[in-house]
Amino acid sequence: MDVASRRFLWLYAKSQLKLKYRDTYLGFAWNFVEPALYLGMLSLIFSAVNRMNIHDYTVFLFGALIPWRYFENVVSGATESIVSGSWLLKKMYVSPLVFPLIRWLVASLEFLFSFTVVLLLLVFMKERWTVHLCILPFSIIPWAMLSLGIGLICAVLFTFFRDVRPIVHMVMMFTFFSSPILFKIDFFEGHTLQALVLKFHPMTYYASLFQKPIYYASWPSALDWGITLGISAAVVIVGCCLVHKCQGRFYFFL
Amino acid sequence: MAIIFKLENVSVSFDKHAIVQRSLKHALSGWFRPHNRTTFYALSKVSVAIHAGDHVGLIGRNGAGKSTLLRVLTKVITPQEGLVSLCPDRHIAPLLELGLGFHPDLSGRENCFLAGALMGYSATEIHRKIDGIIRFAELEEFIDEPVKNYSSGMFGRLAFALATDIEPEVLLVDEVFGVGDEFFMRKCIVRMQRLMQAGITTVFVSHNVDFLVAQCNRMIWLDKGHIEMDGKPREVVAAYRNAYNTLG
Repeated sequence: MDVASRRFLWLYAKSQLKLKYRDTYLGFAWNFVEPALYLGMLSLIFSAVNRMNIHDYTVFLFGALIPWRYFENVVSGATESIVSGSWLLKKMYVSPLVFPLIRWLVASLEFLFSFTVVLLLLVFMKERWTVHLCILPFSIIPWAMLSLGIGLICAVLFTFFRDVRPIVHMVMMFTFFSSPILFKIDFFEGHTLQALVLKFHPMTYYASLFQKPIYYASWPSALDWGITLGISAAVVIVGCCLVHKCQGRFYFFL
Repeated sequence: MAIIFKLENVSVSFDKHAIVQRSLKHALSGWFRPHNRTTFYALSKVSVAIHAGDHVGLIGRNGAGKSTLLRVLTKVITPQEGLVSLCPDRHIAPLLELGLGFHPDLSGRENCFLAGALMGYSATEIHRKIDGIIRFAELEEFIDEPVKNYSSGMFGRLAFALATDIEPEVLLVDEVFGVGDEFFMRKCIVRMQRLMQAGITTVFVSHNVDFLVAQCNRMIWLDKGHIEMDGKPREVVAAYRNAYNTLG
Protein backbone atom coordinates (compact mmCIF):
# COMPACT_ATOMS: atom_id res chain seq x y z
CA MET A 1 0.00 0.00 0.00
CA ASP A 2 1.35 3.45 -0.92
CA VAL A 3 2.10 6.21 1.62
CA ALA A 4 -0.93 8.32 0.65
CA SER A 5 -3.32 5.37 1.17
CA ARG A 6 -1.71 4.62 4.54
CA ARG A 7 -2.14 8.25 5.67
CA PHE A 8 -5.72 8.19 4.47
CA LEU A 9 -6.35 4.91 6.31
CA TRP A 10 -5.49 6.38 9.73
CA LEU A 11 -7.32 9.64 9.17
CA TYR A 12 -10.44 7.95 7.85
CA ALA A 13 -10.47 5.32 10.63
CA LYS A 14 -10.39 8.17 13.18
CA SER A 15 -13.20 9.98 11.33
CA GLN A 16 -15.29 6.79 11.29
CA LEU A 17 -14.94 6.42 15.06
CA LYS A 18 -16.02 10.02 15.59
CA LEU A 19 -18.81 9.74 13.04
CA LYS A 20 -20.32 6.67 14.66
CA TYR A 21 -21.52 8.48 17.77
CA ARG A 22 -21.50 12.05 16.45
CA ASP A 23 -25.23 12.68 16.77
CA THR A 24 -25.76 10.75 20.03
CA TYR A 25 -26.09 12.20 23.54
CA LEU A 26 -23.80 9.65 25.17
CA GLY A 27 -21.18 9.93 22.44
CA PHE A 28 -17.97 8.00 23.11
CA ALA A 29 -19.51 6.38 26.22
CA TRP A 30 -21.61 4.18 23.91
CA ASN A 31 -18.45 2.16 23.29
CA PHE A 32 -18.81 0.89 26.87
CA VAL A 33 -22.55 1.21 27.46
CA GLU A 34 -23.58 -0.80 24.40
CA PRO A 35 -21.51 -3.95 25.15
CA ALA A 36 -22.43 -3.67 28.85
CA LEU A 37 -26.15 -3.67 27.99
CA TYR A 38 -25.73 -6.46 25.45
CA LEU A 39 -23.80 -8.70 27.78
CA GLY A 40 -25.98 -7.86 30.77
CA MET A 41 -29.09 -8.81 28.83
CA LEU A 42 -27.53 -12.01 27.51
CA SER A 43 -26.39 -13.13 30.94
CA LEU A 44 -29.89 -12.52 32.34
CA ILE A 45 -31.60 -14.41 29.52
CA PHE A 46 -29.19 -17.35 29.42
CA SER A 47 -29.06 -17.71 33.18
CA ALA A 48 -32.87 -17.98 33.16
CA VAL A 49 -33.17 -20.43 30.26
CA ASN A 50 -29.95 -22.37 30.75
CA ARG A 51 -30.89 -26.05 30.54
CA MET A 52 -27.37 -27.33 29.95
CA ASN A 53 -26.36 -27.50 33.58
CA ILE A 54 -23.20 -25.56 32.90
CA HIS A 55 -21.81 -24.10 36.06
CA ASP A 56 -21.12 -20.39 35.80
CA TYR A 57 -22.75 -20.30 32.37
CA THR A 58 -22.38 -16.53 31.86
CA VAL A 59 -18.61 -16.73 32.28
CA PHE A 60 -18.53 -19.63 29.79
CA LEU A 61 -20.72 -17.75 27.33
CA PHE A 62 -18.71 -14.52 27.42
CA GLY A 63 -15.52 -16.47 26.75
CA ALA A 64 -16.10 -17.10 23.04
CA LEU A 65 -19.05 -14.81 22.37
CA ILE A 66 -17.01 -11.61 22.59
CA PRO A 67 -14.39 -12.61 19.98
CA TRP A 68 -17.19 -14.09 17.82
CA ARG A 69 -19.03 -10.77 17.95
CA TYR A 70 -15.83 -9.05 16.86
CA PHE A 71 -15.41 -11.53 13.99
CA GLU A 72 -19.01 -11.05 12.88
CA ASN A 73 -18.70 -7.27 13.14
CA VAL A 74 -15.59 -7.20 10.91
CA VAL A 75 -16.96 -9.60 8.30
CA SER A 76 -20.37 -7.94 7.94
CA GLY A 77 -18.81 -4.47 7.79
CA ALA A 78 -15.97 -5.41 5.45
CA THR A 79 -18.25 -7.26 3.01
CA GLU A 80 -19.81 -4.03 1.73
CA SER A 81 -16.80 -1.84 2.38
CA ILE A 82 -15.34 -1.66 -1.14
CA VAL A 83 -18.73 -1.00 -2.72
CA SER A 84 -19.59 1.66 -0.16
CA GLY A 85 -16.16 3.23 -0.78
CA SER A 86 -17.26 4.13 -4.31
CA TRP A 87 -17.65 7.79 -3.22
CA LEU A 88 -13.84 7.88 -3.28
CA LEU A 89 -12.76 4.97 -5.48
CA LYS A 90 -14.47 6.59 -8.47
CA LYS A 91 -12.85 9.99 -7.91
CA MET A 92 -9.33 9.61 -6.52
CA TYR A 93 -6.75 6.87 -6.43
CA VAL A 94 -6.66 4.99 -3.15
CA SER A 95 -5.74 1.38 -2.54
CA PRO A 96 -9.03 -0.56 -2.28
CA LEU A 97 -7.46 -2.52 0.58
CA VAL A 98 -8.04 0.58 2.70
CA PHE A 99 -11.81 0.11 3.05
CA PRO A 100 -11.91 -3.43 4.53
CA LEU A 101 -8.87 -2.49 6.64
CA ILE A 102 -10.73 0.49 8.13
CA ARG A 103 -13.66 -1.73 9.11
CA TRP A 104 -11.19 -4.11 10.69
CA LEU A 105 -9.37 -1.35 12.59
CA VAL A 106 -12.57 0.24 13.90
CA ALA A 107 -14.03 -3.14 14.93
CA SER A 108 -10.74 -4.06 16.64
CA LEU A 109 -10.92 -0.91 18.71
CA GLU A 110 -14.56 -1.60 19.56
CA PHE A 111 -13.52 -5.10 20.60
CA LEU A 112 -11.03 -3.60 23.05
CA PHE A 113 -13.82 -1.53 24.62
CA SER A 114 -16.12 -4.57 24.78
CA PHE A 115 -13.40 -6.67 26.31
CA THR A 116 -12.74 -4.05 28.98
CA VAL A 117 -16.44 -4.26 29.84
CA VAL A 118 -16.25 -8.07 29.97
CA LEU A 119 -13.33 -7.96 32.38
CA LEU A 120 -15.26 -5.54 34.60
CA LEU A 121 -18.32 -7.81 34.54
CA LEU A 122 -16.19 -10.87 35.26
CA VAL A 123 -14.96 -9.19 38.46
CA PHE A 124 -18.48 -9.72 39.78
CA MET A 125 -19.20 -13.06 38.10
CA LYS A 126 -16.02 -15.09 38.06
CA GLU A 127 -15.20 -16.97 41.23
CA ARG A 128 -11.61 -17.91 40.49
CA TRP A 129 -9.01 -15.76 38.76
CA THR A 130 -5.98 -17.61 37.44
CA VAL A 131 -2.71 -16.76 35.71
CA HIS A 132 -4.09 -18.23 32.44
CA LEU A 133 -5.98 -15.01 31.78
CA CYS A 134 -2.72 -13.30 30.84
CA ILE A 135 -2.70 -15.23 27.52
CA LEU A 136 -5.85 -13.41 26.33
CA PRO A 137 -4.07 -10.55 24.49
CA PHE A 138 -2.43 -13.25 22.34
CA SER A 139 -5.65 -15.24 21.95
CA ILE A 140 -7.18 -12.43 19.91
CA ILE A 141 -4.41 -12.53 17.28
CA PRO A 142 -5.74 -15.55 15.32
CA TRP A 143 -9.27 -14.13 15.56
CA ALA A 144 -8.10 -10.74 14.25
CA MET A 145 -6.24 -12.36 11.35
CA LEU A 146 -9.20 -14.59 10.49
CA SER A 147 -11.61 -11.62 10.57
CA LEU A 148 -9.38 -9.58 8.29
CA GLY A 149 -8.84 -12.43 5.82
CA ILE A 150 -12.52 -13.43 5.58
CA GLY A 151 -13.47 -9.73 5.45
CA LEU A 152 -11.16 -9.15 2.48
CA ILE A 153 -12.45 -12.21 0.62
CA CYS A 154 -16.10 -11.25 1.21
CA ALA A 155 -15.43 -7.62 0.19
CA VAL A 156 -14.01 -8.76 -3.17
CA LEU A 157 -16.80 -11.28 -3.79
CA PHE A 158 -19.52 -8.77 -2.88
CA THR A 159 -18.10 -6.22 -5.32
CA PHE A 160 -18.56 -8.66 -8.19
CA PHE A 161 -21.62 -10.58 -6.96
CA ARG A 162 -24.15 -8.70 -4.85
CA ASP A 163 -25.85 -12.02 -3.91
CA VAL A 164 -22.96 -12.67 -1.57
CA ARG A 165 -24.33 -10.63 1.36
CA PRO A 166 -27.23 -12.94 2.36
CA ILE A 167 -25.02 -15.97 1.73
CA VAL A 168 -22.39 -14.57 4.11
CA HIS A 169 -25.06 -13.98 6.77
CA MET A 170 -26.34 -17.55 6.41
CA VAL A 171 -22.86 -19.06 6.62
CA MET A 172 -22.05 -16.94 9.68
CA MET A 173 -25.25 -17.99 11.38
CA PHE A 174 -24.64 -21.66 10.61
CA THR A 175 -21.05 -21.43 11.85
CA PHE A 176 -22.19 -19.78 15.07
CA PHE A 177 -24.87 -22.30 15.95
CA SER A 178 -22.78 -25.30 14.94
CA SER A 179 -19.76 -24.28 17.01
CA PRO A 180 -19.17 -24.65 20.75
CA ILE A 181 -19.78 -20.99 21.57
CA LEU A 182 -23.17 -21.45 23.21
CA PHE A 183 -22.56 -24.97 24.54
CA LYS A 184 -19.69 -27.08 25.83
CA ILE A 185 -17.97 -29.53 23.53
CA ASP A 186 -18.64 -32.46 25.90
CA PHE A 187 -22.37 -31.74 25.73
CA PHE A 188 -22.66 -34.51 23.10
CA GLU A 189 -21.77 -38.19 23.52
CA GLY A 190 -18.32 -39.16 22.17
CA HIS A 191 -19.44 -41.11 19.06
CA THR A 192 -22.35 -39.01 17.90
CA LEU A 193 -22.33 -37.07 14.64
CA GLN A 194 -22.51 -33.78 16.53
CA ALA A 195 -19.38 -34.63 18.54
CA LEU A 196 -17.58 -35.53 15.32
CA VAL A 197 -18.64 -32.27 13.65
CA LEU A 198 -17.40 -30.29 16.63
CA LYS A 199 -14.08 -32.11 16.59
CA PHE A 200 -13.41 -30.97 13.03
CA HIS A 201 -15.11 -27.59 13.37
CA PRO A 202 -12.42 -24.89 13.09
CA MET A 203 -14.39 -22.63 15.47
CA THR A 204 -13.86 -25.20 18.23
CA TYR A 205 -10.16 -24.34 18.22
CA TYR A 206 -10.77 -20.59 17.92
CA ALA A 207 -13.25 -20.72 20.83
CA SER A 208 -10.73 -22.69 22.93
CA LEU A 209 -8.30 -19.77 22.79
CA PHE A 210 -10.69 -17.80 25.00
CA GLN A 211 -12.75 -20.48 26.75
CA LYS A 212 -9.78 -22.36 28.14
CA PRO A 213 -8.15 -19.44 29.99
CA ILE A 214 -11.42 -17.77 31.00
CA TYR A 215 -13.63 -20.74 31.93
CA TYR A 216 -11.49 -23.88 32.26
CA ALA A 217 -8.50 -22.12 33.88
CA SER A 218 -6.06 -23.82 31.49
CA TRP A 219 -3.73 -22.85 28.66
CA PRO A 220 -4.85 -23.27 25.02
CA SER A 221 -3.11 -26.34 23.55
CA ALA A 222 -0.41 -26.33 20.85
CA LEU A 223 -3.04 -27.84 18.52
CA ASP A 224 -5.37 -24.88 19.19
CA TRP A 225 -2.60 -22.42 18.32
CA GLY A 226 -1.36 -24.41 15.33
CA ILE A 227 -4.75 -24.85 13.69
CA THR A 228 -5.99 -21.31 14.33
CA LEU A 229 -2.79 -19.53 13.31
CA GLY A 230 -2.42 -21.76 10.22
CA ILE A 231 -5.99 -21.17 9.02
CA SER A 232 -5.82 -17.44 9.80
CA ALA A 233 -2.52 -16.88 8.00
CA ALA A 234 -3.77 -18.77 4.94
CA VAL A 235 -7.01 -16.77 4.86
CA VAL A 236 -5.18 -13.41 5.18
CA ILE A 237 -2.82 -14.34 2.34
CA VAL A 238 -5.72 -15.44 0.11
CA GLY A 239 -7.63 -12.22 0.95
CA CYS A 240 -4.69 -9.92 0.19
CA CYS A 241 -3.87 -11.74 -3.07
CA LEU A 242 -7.52 -11.55 -4.13
CA VAL A 243 -7.70 -7.78 -3.55
CA HIS A 244 -4.39 -7.28 -5.32
CA LYS A 245 -5.41 -9.40 -8.30
CA CYS A 246 -8.86 -7.86 -8.72
CA GLN A 247 -8.22 -4.20 -7.81
CA GLY A 248 -8.02 -3.07 -11.43
CA ARG A 249 -11.54 -4.40 -12.09
CA PHE A 250 -13.34 -2.90 -9.08
CA TYR A 251 -14.08 0.43 -10.80
CA PHE A 252 -16.24 -1.27 -13.41
CA PHE A 253 -18.44 -2.91 -10.76
CA LEU A 254 -18.98 0.05 -8.40
CA MET B 1 11.45 17.80 -20.53
CA ALA B 2 10.44 15.08 -18.06
CA ILE B 3 7.51 12.91 -19.05
CA ILE B 4 4.73 13.06 -16.45
CA PHE B 5 2.28 10.64 -18.11
CA LYS B 6 2.92 8.17 -20.88
CA LEU B 7 0.15 6.03 -22.31
CA GLU B 8 0.89 3.34 -24.89
CA ASN B 9 -1.98 1.63 -26.74
CA VAL B 10 -4.30 2.09 -23.80
CA SER B 11 -7.83 0.70 -24.10
CA VAL B 12 -10.64 0.93 -21.56
CA SER B 13 -13.85 -0.95 -22.19
CA PHE B 14 -17.11 -1.32 -20.30
CA ASP B 15 -19.47 -4.27 -20.58
CA LYS B 16 -22.96 -3.17 -21.50
CA HIS B 17 -25.84 -4.46 -19.32
CA ALA B 18 -23.41 -4.63 -16.41
CA ILE B 19 -26.23 -4.51 -13.83
CA VAL B 20 -27.59 -7.91 -14.94
CA GLN B 21 -24.08 -9.33 -14.79
CA ARG B 22 -23.67 -8.57 -11.11
CA SER B 23 -25.57 -11.64 -9.95
CA LEU B 24 -24.27 -15.03 -9.00
CA LYS B 25 -26.99 -16.59 -11.18
CA HIS B 26 -25.62 -14.79 -14.23
CA ALA B 27 -22.04 -15.81 -13.42
CA LEU B 28 -22.95 -19.45 -12.84
CA SER B 29 -25.11 -19.68 -15.98
CA GLY B 30 -22.12 -18.31 -17.93
CA TRP B 31 -20.14 -21.44 -17.05
CA PHE B 32 -22.59 -23.62 -18.97
CA ARG B 33 -23.65 -21.26 -21.76
CA PRO B 34 -21.28 -18.37 -22.57
CA HIS B 35 -23.08 -15.01 -22.67
CA ASN B 36 -22.98 -12.70 -25.66
CA ARG B 37 -21.04 -9.75 -24.33
CA THR B 38 -21.43 -6.34 -25.86
CA THR B 39 -18.50 -4.12 -25.08
CA PHE B 40 -18.25 -0.37 -25.30
CA TYR B 41 -14.76 1.05 -25.79
CA ALA B 42 -14.39 4.35 -23.91
CA LEU B 43 -10.74 4.50 -24.99
CA SER B 44 -9.28 2.52 -27.82
CA LYS B 45 -5.54 2.14 -28.41
CA VAL B 46 -4.70 5.62 -27.11
CA SER B 47 -1.02 6.58 -27.05
CA VAL B 48 0.00 9.93 -25.63
CA ALA B 49 2.82 11.50 -23.60
CA ILE B 50 2.37 14.56 -21.42
CA HIS B 51 5.49 16.45 -20.40
CA ALA B 52 6.22 18.59 -17.35
CA GLY B 53 4.91 22.12 -17.91
CA ASP B 54 2.39 21.09 -20.58
CA HIS B 55 -1.05 22.69 -20.38
CA VAL B 56 -3.23 20.24 -22.23
CA GLY B 57 -6.87 20.73 -23.15
CA LEU B 58 -9.01 17.70 -23.93
CA ILE B 59 -11.93 18.34 -26.25
CA GLY B 60 -14.49 16.11 -27.86
CA ARG B 61 -18.22 15.45 -27.86
CA ASN B 62 -20.06 13.72 -25.01
CA GLY B 63 -18.87 10.12 -24.67
CA ALA B 64 -15.63 10.78 -26.57
CA GLY B 65 -13.54 9.40 -23.69
CA LYS B 66 -12.22 12.64 -22.14
CA SER B 67 -13.22 11.90 -18.55
CA THR B 68 -12.12 8.28 -18.90
CA LEU B 69 -8.71 9.46 -20.05
CA LEU B 70 -8.43 11.73 -16.98
CA ARG B 71 -9.37 8.80 -14.75
CA VAL B 72 -6.66 6.67 -16.34
CA LEU B 73 -4.13 9.44 -15.68
CA THR B 74 -5.18 9.59 -12.01
CA LYS B 75 -5.01 5.76 -11.68
CA VAL B 76 -8.70 5.66 -10.77
CA ILE B 77 -9.26 3.40 -13.79
CA THR B 78 -6.84 0.61 -14.63
CA PRO B 79 -7.05 0.03 -18.39
CA GLN B 80 -7.67 -3.49 -19.63
CA GLU B 81 -5.03 -3.11 -22.33
CA GLY B 82 -1.92 -1.04 -22.81
CA LEU B 83 0.74 0.48 -20.66
CA VAL B 84 0.47 3.51 -18.37
CA SER B 85 3.63 5.08 -16.96
CA LEU B 86 3.28 7.79 -14.36
CA CYS B 87 6.11 9.88 -13.04
CA PRO B 88 6.39 8.87 -9.38
CA ASP B 89 6.54 11.21 -6.36
CA ARG B 90 4.53 14.00 -7.97
CA HIS B 91 1.69 15.65 -6.11
CA ILE B 92 -1.27 15.13 -8.40
CA ALA B 93 -4.53 16.95 -7.67
CA PRO B 94 -7.48 15.46 -9.55
CA LEU B 95 -10.63 17.57 -9.80
CA LEU B 96 -12.98 15.12 -11.44
CA GLU B 97 -16.68 15.82 -11.92
CA LEU B 98 -16.85 19.04 -9.92
CA GLY B 99 -14.99 17.83 -6.88
CA LEU B 100 -12.58 15.61 -5.08
CA GLY B 101 -13.52 12.44 -3.25
CA PHE B 102 -15.47 14.02 -0.39
CA HIS B 103 -17.35 11.88 2.13
CA PRO B 104 -20.88 13.31 2.47
CA ASP B 105 -21.15 12.75 6.25
CA LEU B 106 -17.83 14.36 7.13
CA SER B 107 -17.30 18.09 7.53
CA GLY B 108 -15.56 20.25 4.96
CA ARG B 109 -12.54 20.51 7.25
CA GLU B 110 -12.28 16.71 7.75
CA ASN B 111 -12.64 16.15 4.02
CA CYS B 112 -9.77 18.57 3.38
CA PHE B 113 -7.47 16.42 5.51
CA LEU B 114 -8.62 13.18 3.87
CA ALA B 115 -8.37 14.41 0.30
CA GLY B 116 -5.08 16.17 1.14
CA ALA B 117 -3.66 12.88 2.42
CA LEU B 118 -4.58 11.21 -0.88
CA MET B 119 -2.83 13.95 -2.81
CA GLY B 120 0.33 13.12 -0.88
CA TYR B 121 0.27 15.75 1.88
CA SER B 122 0.71 15.13 5.58
CA ALA B 123 -1.76 16.38 8.20
CA THR B 124 0.82 19.00 9.30
CA GLU B 125 1.04 20.41 5.77
CA ILE B 126 -2.75 20.62 5.48
CA HIS B 127 -2.92 22.24 8.96
CA ARG B 128 -0.62 24.94 7.66
CA LYS B 129 -2.78 25.55 4.60
CA ILE B 130 -6.29 25.04 5.93
CA ASP B 131 -7.05 28.68 6.82
CA GLY B 132 -6.10 29.83 3.33
CA ILE B 133 -8.22 27.08 1.77
CA ILE B 134 -11.28 28.03 3.83
CA ARG B 135 -10.80 31.72 3.06
CA PHE B 136 -10.45 31.14 -0.68
CA ALA B 137 -13.51 28.86 -0.74
CA GLU B 138 -15.46 31.52 1.24
CA LEU B 139 -16.74 28.82 3.58
CA GLU B 140 -15.73 30.22 6.98
CA GLU B 141 -19.24 29.73 8.40
CA PHE B 142 -19.82 26.27 6.96
CA ILE B 143 -16.47 24.50 7.09
CA ASP B 144 -17.49 22.35 10.07
CA GLU B 145 -20.83 21.35 8.51
CA PRO B 146 -21.13 17.94 6.79
CA VAL B 147 -20.54 18.41 3.07
CA LYS B 148 -23.85 16.67 2.30
CA ASN B 149 -25.47 19.97 3.37
CA TYR B 150 -23.38 21.98 0.89
CA SER B 151 -24.76 23.29 -2.35
CA SER B 152 -22.99 22.12 -5.51
CA GLY B 153 -21.31 25.55 -5.66
CA MET B 154 -19.93 25.25 -2.11
CA PHE B 155 -18.79 21.71 -2.83
CA GLY B 156 -16.96 22.75 -5.99
CA ARG B 157 -15.44 25.83 -4.32
CA LEU B 158 -13.97 23.81 -1.50
CA ALA B 159 -12.60 21.17 -3.89
CA PHE B 160 -11.04 23.81 -6.12
CA ALA B 161 -9.57 25.77 -3.19
CA LEU B 162 -8.01 22.62 -1.73
CA ALA B 163 -6.66 21.28 -5.01
CA THR B 164 -5.02 24.57 -5.94
CA ASP B 165 -3.95 25.96 -2.55
CA ILE B 166 -1.72 22.97 -1.84
CA GLU B 167 0.23 23.91 -4.98
CA PRO B 168 0.25 20.56 -6.75
CA GLU B 169 2.77 19.66 -9.42
CA VAL B 170 0.08 18.21 -11.67
CA LEU B 171 -3.53 19.39 -11.80
CA LEU B 172 -6.21 17.45 -13.64
CA VAL B 173 -9.47 19.31 -14.04
CA ASP B 174 -12.75 17.97 -15.38
CA GLU B 175 -15.30 20.75 -16.03
CA VAL B 176 -14.72 22.39 -12.67
CA PHE B 177 -15.37 25.93 -13.86
CA GLY B 178 -19.09 25.28 -14.10
CA VAL B 179 -19.52 25.81 -10.37
CA GLY B 180 -19.57 28.94 -8.29
CA ASP B 181 -20.81 32.35 -9.29
CA GLU B 182 -19.24 34.66 -11.83
CA PHE B 183 -16.97 36.30 -9.23
CA PHE B 184 -15.69 33.04 -7.85
CA MET B 185 -15.06 31.78 -11.36
CA ARG B 186 -12.92 34.84 -12.04
CA LYS B 187 -10.96 34.15 -8.84
CA CYS B 188 -10.44 30.55 -9.98
CA ILE B 189 -9.14 31.57 -13.38
CA VAL B 190 -6.66 34.03 -11.83
CA ARG B 191 -5.38 31.34 -9.49
CA MET B 192 -5.15 28.81 -12.32
CA GLN B 193 -3.14 31.23 -14.43
CA ARG B 194 -0.78 31.91 -11.52
CA LEU B 195 -0.23 28.15 -11.03
CA MET B 196 0.33 27.62 -14.74
CA GLN B 197 2.88 30.43 -14.87
CA ALA B 198 4.61 28.81 -11.89
CA GLY B 199 5.22 25.79 -14.11
CA ILE B 200 2.75 23.12 -12.97
CA THR B 201 1.42 20.61 -15.48
CA THR B 202 -2.29 20.85 -16.19
CA VAL B 203 -4.79 18.75 -18.08
CA PHE B 204 -8.24 20.28 -18.59
CA VAL B 205 -11.43 18.72 -19.81
CA SER B 206 -13.99 21.29 -20.81
CA HIS B 207 -16.68 22.03 -23.34
CA ASN B 208 -15.70 25.69 -23.06
CA VAL B 209 -13.35 25.49 -26.02
CA ASP B 210 -12.52 29.21 -26.02
CA PHE B 211 -11.33 28.97 -22.42
CA LEU B 212 -9.08 26.04 -23.35
CA VAL B 213 -7.62 27.89 -26.34
CA ALA B 214 -6.79 30.83 -24.07
CA GLN B 215 -5.16 28.72 -21.33
CA CYS B 216 -3.55 25.71 -23.00
CA ASN B 217 -0.44 25.24 -25.11
CA ARG B 218 -1.58 21.88 -26.47
CA MET B 219 -4.96 20.47 -27.44
CA ILE B 220 -6.08 16.86 -27.87
CA TRP B 221 -9.32 16.12 -29.69
CA LEU B 222 -10.87 12.81 -28.75
CA ASP B 223 -13.59 11.11 -30.73
CA LYS B 224 -15.18 7.73 -29.87
CA GLY B 225 -12.22 6.73 -27.73
CA HIS B 226 -9.56 7.62 -30.33
CA ILE B 227 -7.22 10.57 -30.51
CA GLU B 228 -8.45 12.39 -33.59
CA MET B 229 -5.89 15.19 -33.43
CA ASP B 230 -3.12 16.37 -31.11
CA GLY B 231 -1.44 19.71 -31.67
CA LYS B 232 -1.60 23.47 -31.30
CA PRO B 233 -4.86 24.64 -29.70
CA ARG B 234 -6.07 26.90 -32.49
CA GLU B 235 -5.44 24.33 -35.23
CA VAL B 236 -7.08 21.48 -33.33
CA VAL B 237 -10.12 23.58 -32.39
CA ALA B 238 -10.53 24.77 -35.98
CA ALA B 239 -10.50 21.17 -37.24
CA TYR B 240 -12.87 20.06 -34.44
CA ARG B 241 -15.38 22.82 -35.18
CA ASN B 242 -15.09 22.28 -38.88
CA ALA B 243 -15.81 18.55 -38.54
CA TYR B 244 -19.00 19.03 -36.55
CA ASN B 245 -20.21 22.14 -38.37
CA THR B 246 -20.00 20.17 -41.62
CA LEU B 247 -22.05 17.36 -40.05
CA GLY B 248 -24.65 19.74 -38.61
